[in-house]
Amino acid sequence: MANSNLPRRIIKETQRLLSEPAPGISASPSEDNMRYFNVMILGPSQSPYEGGVFKLELFLPEEYPMAAPKVRFLTKIYHPNIDKLGRICLDILKDKWSPALQIRTVLLSIQALLSAPNPDDPLSENIAKHWKSNEAEAVETAKEWTRLYASGA
Amino acid sequence: MGISFSNNNRRRDNNNRRHLHHYPPPPYYYLDPPPPPPPPPFPPHYDYNYSNYHLSQPLPPQPQINSCSYGHYHYHPQPPQYFTTAQPNWWGPMVRPAYYGPPQPQPQTQPLPPPYVEQQNAKKVRNDVNVHKDTVRLGVDDLVPGHHLVSFVFDALFDGSFTITFFAKEEPNCMIIPQFPEVYSSTRFHFQKGPGQKFLQPSGTGTDLSFFALDDLSRPLQEDVYPLVISADTVISPNSTSEQSSVHKQVTLAVLEKDNDRCFKVKVVKQILWIEGVRYELRELYGSTTQGAASGLEDSGSGKECVICMTEAKDTAVLPCRHLCMCSDCAKELRLQSNKCPICRQPIEELLEIKVNSSDEQH
Repeated sequence: MANSNLPRRIIKETQRLLSEPAPGISASPSEDNMRYFNVMILGPSQSPYEGGVFKLELFLPEEYPMAAPKVRFLTKIYHPNIDKLGRICLDILKDKWSPALQIRTVLLSIQALLSAPNPDDPLSENIAKHWKSNEAEAVETAKEWTRLYASGA
Repeated sequence: MGISFSNNNRRRDNNNRRHLHHYPPPPYYYLDPPPPPPPPPFPPHYDYNYSNYHLSQPLPPQPQINSCSYGHYHYHPQPPQYFTTAQPNWWGPMVRPAYYGPPQPQPQTQPLPPPYVEQQNAKKVRNDVNVHKDTVRLGVDDLVPGHHLVSFVFDALFDGSFTITFFAKEEPNCMIIPQFPEVYSSTRFHFQKGPGQKFLQPSGTGTDLSFFALDDLSRPLQEDVYPLVISADTVISPNSTSEQSSVHKQVTLAVLEKDNDRCFKVKVVKQILWIEGVRYELRELYGSTTQGAASGLEDSGSGKECVICMTEAKDTAVLPCRHLCMCSDCAKELRLQSNKCPICRQPIEELLEIKVNSSDEQH
């Protein structure tokens, strides 16, 4: 049912994601529901997440592209803007969404968020506190979590 | 201490108030729309980014999801669609929750209808002669030291003439008045019709700009006197004596910046179109097909397709930001839900539909 009247935009975006994937990002639609994507983002180099493979899920709601995709980390990650449920604090997923943005740009923004954690706008209060009080230690924890949970095994 | 909401229940209110601060976060996990808000004890402060939330609280098990007894205080004006992500995999491949079902005619996510925005069709006027504004140059006349020659590329549908004036002012009725006629008089050159022609001012007719300080050349004097004015007039009916009524001209107003020690760089500030007594200011639309083709980035929104449906050709521009980015159908749909330009998020004041039929382009 969900796949029968898939907007052409979604089909096009999917084709482009598969044919020209962004570096370090892969997204492929589920067979059962073309609005549901399995996403993998490689931890950016020079970040505490380097070497990690992070799984996410992305869903295009009925209103898409008038409404933002819903994205969530499935892999546990130690990041001040990502909570324990994997929800992401990113303005373009909420009030700064624009229909000119796409799946690709959203995933690139999330990849950029991994490179630039922002503890001043936290989703995980504890992690943000840790980040602000002792950044070196927080980064170490993030690296450790990357090894523990995102090693790709 | 304190303000209470009911004189009869002062104590309970105080308790409630105190509890509010200790209570766990609001129920981002409830599934049905929130009940109508009671008078909030303090202004609602939920603002779409989870910064106020403490997530140390373990998630309640499923059955509690619909019974959020303390949720009321965090009044949220919209159905909490996003919140439901708290349920792991709630929108997984197998399950489609009911309330995602039929699309709503009026999207629920809009607490207030956006202001009505006029969607207008563009009026078409024909520009008989066009000076390509990014091709205007001022070069040195090799035969007359210190003198400068104007050059540019232009398209013309009819024969006509260029009048080049240094330091001129645009007066009402499309008159271009030289401000220093004794030093800088206008020079006039005829042209013939044809597209993509190169105009180069003949050697010996150049202008000496050394009277002026660089500062005077690089900006308009007294706001409306421009250092370089190129007026391109077309002659539609050469026999016509009433020049005033059939005037059709494009005026290019530019300033001059010193590029290196011998050359000036021309910066076109604006272009004016005078057609049958009506003055139009020419302004570029961002994202028109001619511009976008060069960038080669299909995904950047610079292509020919509407950025929303990515299917139809874009034909609707947003004003005042001038982003040509949508097809008219998507523009209509967007207008129902948002008043922000998809490209720059500036408020939309007007939508302008531009229909170009191919027969006109041939002409």
